[in-house]
Amino acid sequence: MTTTDIIIAAPMMLLAVGALLTLLIGAVTRNDTVSAMIGVASTLAAAFLLLKTPPALIAPTLGLSAEGLPCLFGVFFALLSAGVLCLSSGYNRERGIGGEEYPAAVLFTAFGMLALSSATNLLTLFLGLEAMSFGFYILVAIDLKRSTSGETGLKYLLPGAFSTAFLAFGIALLYSVSGSLSIHEALRITLTNGTHDPIALAGWACLLAGVAFKLSLAPAHLWTPDVYQGAPAPVTAFLSGGSKAAAILLLLLLLPQATDTNVLRVPLWGLAFLSILVGNLAALLQNRVRRMLAYSSIAQMGYVVIALLSGRGGGYQAAAYYAIVYGAISLAAFGAIAVLERNGCGETVEEYSGLGSRQPFASGVLALSLFALAGIPPTAGFTGKFLIFTAAIRSGEIALAVIGILLAAVSLFYYLKVVVSLYFKHSGIHDNTAGPNYPEYIVLTVASAAILLLGLWPNALIGLLSNLLP
Amino acid sequence: MNQIPLLTLLVFFPLAGAFLLLFLIRWERTTRFIALSIGLVETFFACSALFCRSLPLSTTTPKGFFLFKDLPWIETLGIRYTLGMDGISLLLVILTALVTVIAMLVSWRSITERVALHYLLLLAMESGIMGVFLSLDLFLFYLFWELMLIPMFFLIGIWGHDRNIYSAVKFFLYTLFGSLLMLAAIIGIYLIHGSQSGNYSFSLSALTGTHFSYATGLWLYAAFLLAFAVKFPIVPLHTWLPDAHTDAPTAGSVILAGLLLKTGAYGLIRFGYPLFPEAAGTLTPLLIMLAVTGIIYASWVAFAQKDMKRLVAYSSVGHMGFVALGIAVWTPVALSGAVLQMVNHGLTTTALFALVGMLDERTHSRRIEDYGGLWGKIPLFSAFFVLFAMASAGLPGLNNFVGEFLILAGSFKTYHIATVIAFIGVILPLVYTVRLIQEVIFQEERRPFPMADINLREMSILVCLAACDLYIGLHPAPLLEILKTPVALLTGGTP
Repeated sequence: MTTTDIIIAAPMMLLAVGALLTLLIGAVTRNDTVSAMIGVASTLAAAFLLLKTPPALIAPTLGLSAEGLPCLFGVFFALLSAGVLCLSSGYNRERGIGGEEYPAAVLFTAFGMLALSSATNLLTLFLGLEAMSFGFYILVAIDLKRSTSGETGLKYLLPGAFSTAFLAFGIALLYSVSGSLSIHEALRITLTNGTHDPIALAGWACLLAGVAFKLSLAPAHLWTPDVYQGAPAPVTAFLSGGSKAAAILLLLLLLPQATDTNVLRVPLWGLAFLSILVGNLAALLQNRVRRMLAYSSIAQMGYVVIALLSGRGGGYQAAAYYAIVYGAISLAAFGAIAVLERNGCGETVEEYSGLGSRQPFASGVLALSLFALAGIPPTAGFTGKFLIFTAAIRSGEIALAVIGILLAAVSLFYYLKVVVSLYFKHSGIHDNTAGPNYPEYIVLTVASAAILLLGLWPNALIGLLSNLLP
Repeated sequence: MNQIPLLTLLVFFPLAGAFLLLFLIRWERTTRFIALSIGLVETFFACSALFCRSLPLSTTTPKGFFLFKDLPWIETLGIRYTLGMDGISLLLVILTALVTVIAMLVSWRSITERVALHYLLLLAMESGIMGVFLSLDLFLFYLFWELMLIPMFFLIGIWGHDRNIYSAVKFFLYTLFGSLLMLAAIIGIYLIHGSQSGNYSFSLSALTGTHFSYATGLWLYAAFLLAFAVKFPIVPLHTWLPDAHTDAPTAGSVILAGLLLKTGAYGLIRFGYPLFPEAAGTLTPLLIMLAVTGIIYASWVAFAQKDMKRLVAYSSVGHMGFVALGIAVWTPVALSGAVLQMVNHGLTTTALFALVGMLDERTHSRRIEDYGGLWGKIPLFSAFFVLFAMASAGLPGLNNFVGEFLILAGSFKTYHIATVIAFIGVILPLVYTVRLIQEVIFQEERRPFPMADINLREMSILVCLAACDLYIGLHPAPLLEILKTPVALLTGGTP
């Protein structure tokens, strides 16, 4: 192992060591606060290390690199997990989710995300994805006191395992054609212009099917609403913001290296179209806020696929931008929901009535994130959609762009439904519930600030991304 | 004057004020005064722009503009922070500042819940509208265009009455649907211009003169027209307006009618015609037909209304039909008339909504059939009511007459039949207005409401608006002088 290897692997090792440490210390002290603090400290330290890593290092023996894109997303994943840990403390105390395994699982998941983002090798990529998924299998079902928890866990585990099988098989097929596990080589050989090897095509089909599960693209979206509804709210934030971004990143590590992605156009077109259609229309019918957000996430991922589809016209940058923005929005939205649920709010839209005056801060953040999801300026959601549609029109996908814009107008209706409930309806309840605690305040403020700042001054991030992606 | 960033101040001063109110949300009584003083200072800024017209210009300033600000913003996409003020924006900016102050005064008493939030939203909306009237970058314009919807949505939803939620959502969905298609068109122009010239930019001056194929131009213009027509509102797209106006609180109706409707017309003048002269020419007959239909239809429907606010709302649709006609004809005279009519309608309708709001505050009824005999009971109120109703009906000597006259005079030369039909539209408002005055003011008292005449606050609102109405009605020349250069430049003549 060379020094370069160590430098590149250091943030990941830090997270893994942090995970082990929380398990060890938790076994001794049985104090959840200590383990949570260790968790936050290791994620922040990992983010710091990533920022300090000299760019463009490659460790071929490990199949890892520390180029710009992995570093950027690594910092994003580390900060996201720190936010999730901060949100969890109050929520878990209320729900009786205890034990050191919670922060350990979050750290382990973050480890997987970091490994995935810095992979240069198909095998590392797969291992990272699996490490991440394993963490989520535990986290989704961690609320042992609720009867639905096991059901939720199973509903995530089975499709997850299924998709893993597809991914592994897809990678194996690509390997068999190209004879190399290096992403660059594999892509160069399997996605060329001219005629395609049928086995390579089968490999790509399996790979896309696996990613479609992870991204919850229609028609592989059926697990999403149940899991979003059943998992603890901070875990849902992590799942929605983190695992989706990781799956987008997986495609961003692969597709830009291909010589010609034209052969993937039709399947991607279909996935994008079905996702925005099914997601937006099904969300209209939902009466529970979390289920609505689950369908909305299906639609949002459909928009990201539109961006990936029009990659060469700036779409890859748009997809990366939207992945980061969607992470911030997820953290804000589900963080606000965590605060509201912790104070006894129910699940349906009606039960959110009048919260605007009883819980002004959390409701404000939720309303802001809903406007961001709907793509209303000056939020980052608008800038992200703007980049996506610009890329799509530039690449000649005008039909998809217009359908997307029209469905975005439809989507406004269900987002507004929640805002209407929060602010315009009155409930009979006049109790003075407690507001958010300090960690929640900090996380929600930072996430909302990110939503607004990325909307108003996106120049820095767009500039960075245009250097990193074609 | 370019040392003082007057344009930036105009746009962001109210927003800064709104931000300040966010921290004072618990001191409800004080916030009224703070908001009012912010509104008054903003009005002072707006009026001070009048004196900037004769200042020396820098070389980068586009022709016709006398205040201009251009800074890089999102450079990677060619988006710039470009604000500019010419005569058209000047009048509308002053109108915006004035109407916002009036909206604040109108809701002084009637808003008792969440007062600070109410004033905060009014200020935030003022910022959005100022931004729309001053932006010269399409992206920036779109940003403000959507930004002003959100406060209005909350104003209608939180403080509205009857079917407030339905109306708020309907308003938001209608306007957003139109503007999203405009967004697609904006991206379309940006890309077409970029690929032609290699300079990817959203700036209006760069995009003007982009050459489109006939069909593309038509599609892009249609998307713009749709967004503006919803706001206008031009007749088949007007159905959100009566609902939103009726269910909004008085301040909401005042801003909606006084200002938001003008943004549609302004967008068409500033962006629609200059960007797509060819397509706009093709669709002119359609626009004229819709405008004339709107004038007649809205007056017809207004006649049947039982609710005073709804009546005023429909009269707005009719008056905006005149503005649409003036713009569609696109001759210097008609266009100045249209802009002047935008200001006039802003003043008169504001006054009428304020008057109806005052009655509603006293009796909690807006039904025409509940009133009668007000002349004997509250003579001052009645006098103002008659004055503004007559102004709205286009009585010579008052402001609306001047605008309507210019529009009709400007369009007769080219479009005889449309103008002749529109002439009927001048008479119809007189019919429903006279009926309104007769039933509410002069008829025998139908329900004995106890009520007091207008107080000093209400008096100051009405006197201020009446002074503006009379001034424009009797001496419109200074305003037309302000409009002369920009209108001449837009219609392709020499100033």
